[in-house]
Amino acid sequence: MQTIIQKIKEECSNLIENSTLTKELNDIRIKFFGKSGEFTNLMKGLKDVPKEDKPAVGKMLNDCKKNLEAKLEEKIKELELKEKDKKLKEEELDITLSGKREDVGGLHVLSLVRNEIVDIFTGLGFTVSDGPEIETDYFCFQMLNIPKDHPARDMQDSFFINDNLILRTQTSSMQVRTMLKQQPPIRIVNPGKVYRVDSDATHSPMFQQIEGLVVDKNVTLCDLKGALELFAKTLFDKNTEVRFRPSYFPFTEPSVEVDVSCPFCGGKGCNLCKGTGWIEILGAGIVNPVVLENCGIDSKEYSGFAFGMGVERIAMIKYGIPDMRILFSNDMRFLKQYK
Amino acid sequence: MKVPYSWLKDFVEIDVTPEVLADKLVKAGFEVDSIIYDGEQCKNVVTGRIEELVPHPDSDHMVICQMNVGQDELIQIVTGASNVAVGDVVPTALHNSHLPNGVNIKKGKLRGVPSNGMLCSGEELNLTEEEFPGAGVYGILQLDKNLPLGMDINEVIGKNDVILDVEITANRPDCNSIIGIAREVAAVLNKPLKNLDIDYKEDETDSIENYVDVDVRTENCNHYIAKAVKNVVIKDSPSYIQKRLISCGIRPINNIVDITNYVLLEVGQPTHAFDKNELKDGIIVVRQAENGEVIVTLDEQENKLKDSMIVIADKSNPIAVAGIMGGLGSGIKENTNTVVFESAKFARDYIRRTSRELKLYSDSSQRFEKGIDYISQNLAMDRILTLIYQTNSGTIVSGKREYIDKPNNVRFVDFTSKDITKILGIVISDEQITEILESLQFKITENNDIFTAEIPLYREDIINANDISEELIRMYGYDHIQSTLFTNPAQTQGGKTKYQQFEDKLKKTLCGMGIFEGINYSFITPKAFDMLNLASDDSRRNAIKLINPLGEDLSVMRTTLAHSMIQSIGNNLAKSVPAGRIFEVARTYIPKEMPIVNQPNEVENLIIGTFGENEDFYTIKGIIENLLDVFCIDAKYTRATETYLHDGRSANIVVGKNIIGKFGEVHPRVLENYGINQRIYIAEIELEKLFKLAKEFRPYVNIPKYPAVDRDIAILVDKSVTADDILSTIKKTGGKILESEKIFDIYTSNLIGANNKSVAISMTFRAEDRTLKEEEINSQIERILKSLEIRLGAKLR
Repeated sequence: MQTIIQKIKEECSNLIENSTLTKELNDIRIKFFGKSGEFTNLMKGLKDVPKEDKPAVGKMLNDCKKNLEAKLEEKIKELELKEKDKKLKEEELDITLSGKREDVGGLHVLSLVRNEIVDIFTGLGFTVSDGPEIETDYFCFQMLNIPKDHPARDMQDSFFINDNLILRTQTSSMQVRTMLKQQPPIRIVNPGKVYRVDSDATHSPMFQQIEGLVVDKNVTLCDLKGALELFAKTLFDKNTEVRFRPSYFPFTEPSVEVDVSCPFCGGKGCNLCKGTGWIEILGAGIVNPVVLENCGIDSKEYSGFAFGMGVERIAMIKYGIPDMRILFSNDMRFLKQYK
Repeated sequence: MKVPYSWLKDFVEIDVTPEVLADKLVKAGFEVDSIIYDGEQCKNVVTGRIEELVPHPDSDHMVICQMNVGQDELIQIVTGASNVAVGDVVPTALHNSHLPNGVNIKKGKLRGVPSNGMLCSGEELNLTEEEFPGAGVYGILQLDKNLPLGMDINEVIGKNDVILDVEITANRPDCNSIIGIAREVAAVLNKPLKNLDIDYKEDETDSIENYVDVDVRTENCNHYIAKAVKNVVIKDSPSYIQKRLISCGIRPINNIVDITNYVLLEVGQPTHAFDKNELKDGIIVVRQAENGEVIVTLDEQENKLKDSMIVIADKSNPIAVAGIMGGLGSGIKENTNTVVFESAKFARDYIRRTSRELKLYSDSSQRFEKGIDYISQNLAMDRILTLIYQTNSGTIVSGKREYIDKPNNVRFVDFTSKDITKILGIVISDEQITEILESLQFKITENNDIFTAEIPLYREDIINANDISEELIRMYGYDHIQSTLFTNPAQTQGGKTKYQQFEDKLKKTLCGMGIFEGINYSFITPKAFDMLNLASDDSRRNAIKLINPLGEDLSVMRTTLAHSMIQSIGNNLAKSVPAGRIFEVARTYIPKEMPIVNQPNEVENLIIGTFGENEDFYTIKGIIENLLDVFCIDAKYTRATETYLHDGRSANIVVGKNIIGKFGEVHPRVLENYGINQRIYIAEIELEKLFKLAKEFRPYVNIPKYPAVDRDIAILVDKSVTADDILSTIKKTGGKILESEKIFDIYTSNLIGANNKSVAISMTFRAEDRTLKEEEINSQIERILKSLEIRLGAKLR
C-alpha cells in the first residue's frame, strides 16, 4: 500500500510540476482528487489494510493528499497570474495613435483680445458700457468739442447716412452719453464697433475700439499713465514700459499718443517696431474741460482721463497677425487657430 | 508740411543735426514723417573742366576727355555726347559715383579706351529745365565756366538742402508755415527767433484810391486787405525762391505768382494777385454768390455757384471763388502791368463746405480750412511787398484798402501752478513755467501766485489752463510724468451687465459645441435681399443706405445676418474647406422710419451656420436645443415660413407665443444664388428675446433613490403623425411615474404599408418613494397605448 501511495504521489507531483496551463491542473485535480480520483480510490482501499498498520498508512495517505492539494493550488495561482500577465500583454495598444476628439470651437481672436482688455479694466472698477453704432453728429462730434466743419473732422473719415446720422467713427461718443446720465465718480470702458472710410492691410472700414473714461476728483495725467502701465504690463509682459508722446484730440487736453516697449524685441529694435523699440497702441489724454461742461459736469471740481484703443491693432501686435483683412475673412483655417 | 532746413535757418540759428531736431520736434508734438536729403540721390559727382579732347580711335561718335576736377592729375573720361568742347565746365561723375536714376558709375573701358567716370546730362541728374536752366538740353549739362572745379554738384544745382516732412495736428494751423515751425524750433532749441524781413518803399505820390475800392458785403469774410503794385515786370523769380518752392513741391511760374506762393509757405497766409485790368470799374466786391451764378476757375472747371458760397467780384461778375481759386482770366499774364494783391481771412467752415461742394481744392483752400488767425493778413501783405521791392518787380502804390469785422483783441489766460499740478500730477516750478511759456512767445506776468499769460495772436487754440498745461508738459517733457494709480479714489463697482454676462455664456456654450466665432462687416450689398429670396414687401428690405460707401457691395446696413453667414460658408467651400461651424453675434439695423430720420433700432442677433457631410437639420437643431437648455428655456418647434430656408426642413423656435428665431437647411434656390452646391444649415436668433427668457438655473431636483424601469414599445402610425404628436400624447397619459420618453428609431417600408411608419419609443418609469411593481408599469403602458390608438390611430407592433 505504502509503495502504491509513494508511486501515485510521485506521479501526481510530477504532473503538477510539469503543467503549463490552468486547464491541465484542473484535469489533474479531477484525476487525483475527484469523486473517482486516485486518492478517493486509495481512501476506499484503506479498509483492506491490516488494522495495526491503519493509523500509519492513513496518516501517510492524508498527509500526502494535503501536500499535493496545496501544491496544486499553489501551481494554479502561479499559472493564473502568468495567464493574466499574458493577456495584459496581448491587450497592449499603440498609444501614439490619435485620440477620439469632439471638436472644440473658439472665440474670434478679436473677442479674445477684447475680453482680456475689458477684464483688466473691470478689475480696476470699470463698468462695461455699450452704445449705438449709428450715432448722431451731436454725440460723435459736436459734444466732443468738434463743431461742424472743424478741421479735426478730417482726422476721421465718416460714413454718412444723412446730414445728421453717421456710423460712429469712435467709441468716444459713449463718453458723452455716459456723462449725461451719470455724475462722477465715473469709471467705464466701452468696447464696440466703429467705422471709417479706409481699407488696406492696416485699416479696416469696420473695426473695434475700446474707450475708457474716468471722471473723479483730482484725476491727473500721472493716474492715466499708471492705469495704462498696469494695463500694458498685464496684456503683454510685466517688463513692458509705457511712453507718452504729445498729440492732439479735440476732446482731451493735454492729449498723448501712448507707446509701449516692443513686446517682441523688448525694446531692442526689430522689424515690428521698425527698429525704434516702441509701438504705438493707443491715444489718450485729460478730458477737455469743455467736454465736461458740455455734459453738465463741473470742471472746477472734477477732472478725468480718457483713452481709446483699436482692438485689431493690439490683436495684430500680440498675435503677430500681418494683415488686418484676414480678421474679417471668416476662413475656418484662420478661425481654428484661436481657442 | 515740407520744411527746408535752409529756410528755417532764416529765422533760427540751428546747431543740431536734422535727426536731433526731428527728435525734439516729435517730443514737442510734431510728428516728423521723414527727413529728406536732397543731395542723397546724387553722390560723388563734381564740377569738371574739359582740358583736352581727342576723338576715340575706334569710334566715330565718341571722344576722349581729360577732365580737371580740381585735383593734381587729370582724369580721363570717354563720352558719346557731341555738345562738348575744351573749356566747358560740366557735371563729372567720378569712379564710384551714384546718380539719381539709380545708376552706379565705375571705372571701365569703352571700346578699349579706359574711362574713369562719366559726364552727365541734366536728365541724368534728374533736373528739369524749370529747376535748372539748360538742364532740358539734349546732351551734357553745361555749367557756369566760373564755378570752382571739384565742387559737389548738389551745391551747384541747389540740391544740398535737408527737408523735414512735418505732420501738423489740427489744433496748430499756425504751424502750417515755415515761420510757425521756426517758432517751435526756436523754443525746443532755446534760441532766439528772428523776425520776418519786412522792408519796402512805396510811391507816396500815388494812392490806392486811384486803383481799386473794396466792398465787403458778407460776414463770411472776416478781414480783407488790398494793395496795388504798378509798373509790374513779369519775369522769373530769383533762384533761391524757385529752389525753395521746388523743395516744397511747388512749380515756379513767374515772379508774381512765385512770390504769393512763397509767402503762402512762409507765413501760411493764402493771398491772391489780380490783374488790375480785369477788375471792371475798379472795385472788388466780396459777396455771397447768386444761385446759379457761374464761374470758370483757373483749372478750367466750370462751377455753378449757390448763395451759400462767396465770391470775389467786380461790379457785375465773379472773378474768384473766395479763398479757393481765382477765375480764369483774372490771373497774371505776360503783359500784366498793374497787380492788386489780396490778403484776406475767410471763415474756416465756409471754405470747407464750399470746397467740398464744388470739389474744388487748392493750397489756399487747404490753409483756410485749417484756420487762419487775424494777424497773418497784414504780415503776408508786408512780406509780399518786401519781395516785390527786393526783386524790382514793380512800384508799390501807397495806401491800402482794409476791412475787418472785429478788432484784434489780445486774450489772456489766468492760471496757478496748482492748476497745472492738478492736471499733470507733477510740480513744475514757477520759474520753469515762466521760462517755457516765454520761449513759446507768451507774455507772462505773475501776481499773488496767479499767472496771467498773454496769448500770442496766432495761438487761437489756447483757451484754458488745460491748454497751458499741455504747452508746459510738451516742452518740459512727457518723460517727467510718473505712474500713479488712483491716488485719491472713490470706490467704484466695476463689471459687466447681466446682458454682457449672458452673451459671454452664450458664446462659451457655442464654442463648447465646436463652433467658431466669425466677424463680418455690418454693411452688405443691396443685392443680398434678392439673393436671400426675400419677398418684395419683406420689411428687411428697408435697409439703411450709406451715402458714401466703399463700394456698392458694402453699401447697406445689415437687417439680417443670414447673407454674411451664407457668404462666409460659400467662401470657405470655394477654398476647399470641406466642413465647419461658425457663429456670429452682431447687430442688425432696423430703421424706425424710411427715409431715415432718427437713430434706428440696433437689434443684436445670433447666427449659426454649419456645413460639411456630418451636418444635417438635426445637428443644427441639436445645437439649438443644447443652447436653450443652458439657458433653461423650453421651446416648441413649428414649421418656418422663412423664404431663405427650405420649406420642409426649417423650423421656428417658439417659446410661449413668441418666435425667437428660426433655423434649418438653406433653400436650394438661395444656395444657387450664392454658388453653393451642397446643403448648408443656418439658425438666426434674436438675442434680446433669448436674454429675456433666459434663466440662470432651474429649481433643485432630488436625486432619485429608487431604481428606474426602462420599457421600449414600437407602434405603427400614419406617416403624417409627428414625433411631437406621439411624445406629447405619451407624456399626457404617462402619469406621475413616467420619468422620460424618447423616440429612438423610425422605420418605413412597403411591408408595413406605404403610408405607415414604425416608431420605436423608449420610456423610463420611476417613483419617488418606492420601487415600482411590474403590474403598475404594465397598466400604465396599457393606458398609453390606448391613448395613442384613440388620438393617433397607433397600433402596437
